Amino acid sequence: MAKVAIDINGRLFQEEVPERMLLVDFIRERAHLTGTHIGCTYEGVCGACTVHLDGEAVKSCMLLAAQADEHKITTVEGLAPDGELTPLQEAFKSEHGLQCGFCTAGILMNMTDFLKRYPNPSEQEIREGLIGNLCRCTGYVHIINAVRKVVQENQSRKT
Amino acid sequence: MSQRKNDDWMGTPLPRKEDRRLLTGKGKYVSDIVIPGALHAVFVRSEYAHAKILSIDTSEAEELAGIERIYTGDQIKHLIKSMPQPIVQPALPAHYPTFWPLAVDKVTFHGEPVALVVARDKYVAEDAAELVFVDYEELKPVLDPEEALKPESAIIHEKDGTNEIFSMTFTGGDTEASQAENAAEVEKIFQNAPIVVKDRFKTHRTGVTPMEPRAILCDWDDSDGLLAYITTQRPHIDRLALSDILDISAEKVQVIAPRDQGGGFGVKAPFYRENIIIAHAARDLKQPVRWVESRYESLMNVGQERDQINDMEIAADLEGNMLALRNFGLADNGVGTTGVYWGFVMPFLGAIELPNGYKWPKADIRLKVATTNKACLTPSRAFGHFPTRFAIERCIDMVAHKIGMEPSTFRRKNLVADLPYTSITNEYFDSGDFLKVWDTLMEKANLPDFRVQQKNALSEKKYIGIGFGCGVELSGVASELFVPMENQPGYGAATVRLDPRGKVQVFGGDAPGGQGHETTTAQVVASEFGISPEDVIITTGNTGSTPFGSGSVGARMGSYFISAVAEACRELKTKIAKFLAHDLQLEASVEHFEFKNGEVVYLGDDSQRSSFMSIVERIIMFPINMPEGETGGLDATTFFEAAKPMICFNADCCVVEVSLETGDFKILKWITAEDVGNVINPLIVNGQMHGAIVQGISNTVFEEFVYDEQGQQLTADFEHYKMANAADVPNIDLNYATTPCPHTPLGTRGIGEGRPSSVPGALTNAVCDALKPFGIEITTLPLRPDAIWQKIQDATQ
Repeated sequence: MAKVAIDINGRLFQEEVPERMLLVDFIRERAHLTGTHIGCTYEGVCGACTVHLDGEAVKSCMLLAAQADEHKITTVEGLAPDGELTPLQEAFKSEHGLQCGFCTAGILMNMTDFLKRYPNPSEQEIREGLIGNLCRCTGYVHIINAVRKVVQENQSRKT
Repeated sequence: MSQRKNDDWMGTPLPRKEDRRLLTGKGKYVSDIVIPGALHAVFVRSEYAHAKILSIDTSEAEELAGIERIYTGDQIKHLIKSMPQPIVQPALPAHYPTFWPLAVDKVTFHGEPVALVVARDKYVAEDAAELVFVDYEELKPVLDPEEALKPESAIIHEKDGTNEIFSMTFTGGDTEASQAENAAEVEKIFQNAPIVVKDRFKTHRTGVTPMEPRAILCDWDDSDGLLAYITTQRPHIDRLALSDILDISAEKVQVIAPRDQGGGFGVKAPFYRENIIIAHAARDLKQPVRWVESRYESLMNVGQERDQINDMEIAADLEGNMLALRNFGLADNGVGTTGVYWGFVMPFLGAIELPNGYKWPKADIRLKVATTNKACLTPSRAFGHFPTRFAIERCIDMVAHKIGMEPSTFRRKNLVADLPYTSITNEYFDSGDFLKVWDTLMEKANLPDFRVQQKNALSEKKYIGIGFGCGVELSGVASELFVPMENQPGYGAATVRLDPRGKVQVFGGDAPGGQGHETTTAQVVASEFGISPEDVIITTGNTGSTPFGSGSVGARMGSYFISAVAEACRELKTKIAKFLAHDLQLEASVEHFEFKNGEVVYLGDDSQRSSFMSIVERIIMFPINMPEGETGGLDATTFFEAAKPMICFNADCCVVEVSLETGDFKILKWITAEDVGNVINPLIVNGQMHGAIVQGISNTVFEEFVYDEQGQQLTADFEHYKMANAADVPNIDLNYATTPCPHTPLGTRGIGEGRPSSVPGALTNAVCDALKPFGIEITTLPLRPDAIWQKIQDATQ
């Protein structure tokens, strides 16, 4: 067993866990934050479990809980802590960027980080930025539209 | 698509009611539901495709701390009825295999459940599953459908004495004599036709695996019985099936398909053997039991469809008239041990839908379905007809090439121009305008311009091509077809319940998986009552509170369910009008009132009105001084059955550029035209189309389930089962050419289910058009660069 102290969305979780416990299981089963999903066999392909580790998008099925000891995690539940949706969440709603919603949390976490790094991406760059997230429902068209909408809003605010 | 007028929410791109919870991580999928003390179940699955089980040793596994129980087939076969059971057996004559949830005596595919470990901890359950030792004696696997039907083949389900699970002739009437006569007439046409194309079209094993794998959480109470949360498109069917098989009286079985499900696409429509044993375990242990399928298990067991050979022939004349169609289909069914569909129901419907929207004067269409040692076919969007659509749309291009006619012209000339129409396989096309859809597509495609561009490109040694395809798709499934096909009703059922505050609850027995039922239903109810969609809430998938529905399958939402909702609203409006006329002392009925802006207004004198809430409250809470013969309360359940089966129609055009050096190709454009009937929410309809088309592209190009020569599944993770990502696929130019459906109260059509079917033909046609200088005709999927490169080599050497 390992003792860990993990800050998730500003709340500290001090727990004793099996060494082999995955971070995604810790988030879902110990912190009871079930917005982070598991869509592949812990191989990091589907991206549904993407969270932020100290602000950077990571796949929580590829990490052990023990590796997140003393680190800060943000999950989809932490994106809009005061209840007001972020511009990206709003854009996913207005552009219909989600259907079943199973992959959505991972895509929001990935794209939130992506837009910080690449504030003015082309459509092709957005598509490439999404390679680590599989979506079965949308055909990606509306997801791209939602991300582009946020980019356009940010750009028009600058000018 | 119209913008909103007053309280008419029809056609409004309303953002979805579902979205807020899903965007903030508050969705509740089956694996998110917690029942204290729930035990974790893990399956031990067969390592072999075909083997006798000599013994199973669970002793070492049972020694791990926290193991509650390990089940094997031998232990449960006397406690649980075998499949098939009538509730999950179609009314089609077939060799239905007998099986239990866990393999008994032998295993028949790689991944079949052999034992079930139930433990207090998930990780310990997985450890224990690895310590269950199964001693197998390997049998020769049967993996090729043609070999499977030869007399010397090993037999998989011995009791049947054959590997042919199903066969049928779809043309020439019901007797062998009439079918033989029809076949002879077709043969005569082929002998005399100036143009005949014959080829073998092969589609690979692929499907539409949803992002959320299967899951089930069962609780048991000796008085209340079984409560099962299941990832399912058919909670009411699951409930009856669990009741019948486990001998639990039906009133003691409640199934809940949560409102949040991570996609279905048909994969969550069958009745699965895993659910039987998990429910049994909960009853046996008197404890909640949870099973969450891993992706590895999912890809081994479900989402596999489309595995078929079609030997197709088309006869035509030199003017481009289709004369006859002949198709002998052979589907690779896998083992067939999956309730409701048994694998073969998909190719069965695929054969019915084979003629597509074309006028065939004569046809000879037959199908054989072979059992093999692979996972059973499970439904995948474009149920059953992805293989036959690929074959026919590809073969049509080959015929056009032989005639020397534009394939698009050849198609248009032979499309059904006047509806209603009954196809050569007796499929009824109720309404629509195929030519309007086709002409809308052609206008956007601008073929003359493209041919100029293509010629110019060729002079620069660039190979671009254009491809077309179309599809008639079922819009819901009428009881007339659904009862024989699956022994289930086709009607849509809905309960609409008004409350004294003027708010509306809707209850539906189908179980959506992301299609936006909450929003579209609210839009329809709001339009009917003249209120806001915010005032409407819908409950789906709970067998304890919803009227019977056969499930979220076959595009039933926009056709059957929403029609039942509209009719229930209208029934309540009639009652409201009767009360209001009575209270206002008017000689009036429902057609004399308008429901708008939260009010009910008398059209003859608009000072005579009531707020919607007051009149509703009056009827529910103050049932005195009522119209003669009336009672209080506002609650209606309706069952909607269309007079005739209904369809929708769509067409695709795509443009590709092919690299001669590598055989790789890029999709430059994807243009569509769609008849979806009247649209409730254009955002949602667009999303359905995008998703379906990309699924079709992904199935055509990337996804493939591969078994090796021993029947080992080699593609049970997303590293090997490659699904299209965002960088793999194009944008899509959707165009609408709609005709309202005359058989639904709102003119809507159910859409989206069959939509991927025209994709593989259109895409492959485009690649072949680009390579036309080499005369290359591709007849096998998947459409991969290596295969295209080989064709180019063969043609240029």
